[in-house]
Amino acid sequence: MVLPVSLEDLLATRSAVIVANVVTPRPFDGYRRYALVDRGSYDFIDEPDAPELVACAAALIEQQTGDRRRYVESRVVRLVPGDYLLAHHDRIRDHGLEIVVDLSPTAAPAELHYRQHGQVFFRMPCVPGSAALIPRNPTVTSNHTYLSKLHTGEVVRWIALFV
Amino acid sequence: MWQLGPDWRDEELLASRWRAAAPFPHLIFDDFVADGLMEVLDDEHVDRYEGDLFAFEASRPGGMRDVCEEFAAVLGPVLARITGKRIASADMRAFAYRPGHYLLPHSDHQDGLERLLAYAYYLPSPEPPRGGELELFRCELANGELVATESALLIEPRPHRLVVFDVSDVSLHQVREVLAGLRVSLAGWFYP
Repeated sequence: MVLPVSLEDLLATRSAVIVANVVTPRPFDGYRRYALVDRGSYDFIDEPDAPELVACAAALIEQQTGDRRRYVESRVVRLVPGDYLLAHHDRIRDHGLEIVVDLSPTAAPAELHYRQHGQVFFRMPCVPGSAALIPRNPTVTSNHTYLSKLHTGEVVRWIALFV
Repeated sequence: MWQLGPDWRDEELLASRWRAAAPFPHLIFDDFVADGLMEVLDDEHVDRYEGDLFAFEASRPGGMRDVCEEFAAVLGPVLARITGKRIASADMRAFAYRPGHYLLPHSDHQDGLERLLAYAYYLPSPEPPRGGELELFRCELANGELVATESALLIEPRPHRLVVFDVSDVSLHQVREVLAGLRVSLAGWFYP
């Protein structure tokens, strides 16, 4: 049997973790709206000024993996009721470790899904202050699930890549 | 089972409406009645489907063959004359959208699937839905790339209403989230 993905890639995706109470959520200013609706509907800030989050993420990665990683880039994604970000809109990463910090003001019925070949292998629920570490490779994509209009409130996630 | 009302008689007028419809070719009929359909659907099993694009309940693909074949036999030739497309067959699934269910924006177009037309037929509901409108979007292209999308039309899911629309790269549409009640429909595509 020939696997369409390396064993190393498969095992890497199984090592995603969630850590609770990493930060105290804080608001950001300067959002822009993304609205090509066949891909996503959300607010975002590319390269937000958040050195405390970068430092916190680097320390968390070292604590969880024993490795020191280099920060590459980050963005903040905010979803209001009716928003979503589809899997085919996700940026493909050759390699690296993605860290997501949930900065939502309150918990919401929304998840961040990571997929391999279309199958969800990791779900990050909306728990303010929590963080998740997910190894990325070209077979992995993510999507932010639809935030129902039956819910009030917003979901805010800081997403950074380390290599 | 399927009966075409008086709105279907003037095919030339319908063809001109089809071509002129915005944001992309479509037609809406409010007099398309199906006798005995509800009895057939009472026996239809639905499963829950959920992905990044959708959450709803639906019958399994490939089911409802008798209903679907009669539907295609009655509508196919008429729609072929109106739209100028060579229609030979159709498929059909039953859908139930409950509160929190949705189908996010997409075009229906996929290379190799040969979908010519899409349709949705809304059925009477024991709990008429709030939300659940079919929303059509206007797409702006630059060098073949989608650069802007804009909501252009909302179509309410009224009982016995049939909506038929073109399938292309720019036939962007969605089913808005159902906020209350139950939205029941039959939907699928016509094929060559």
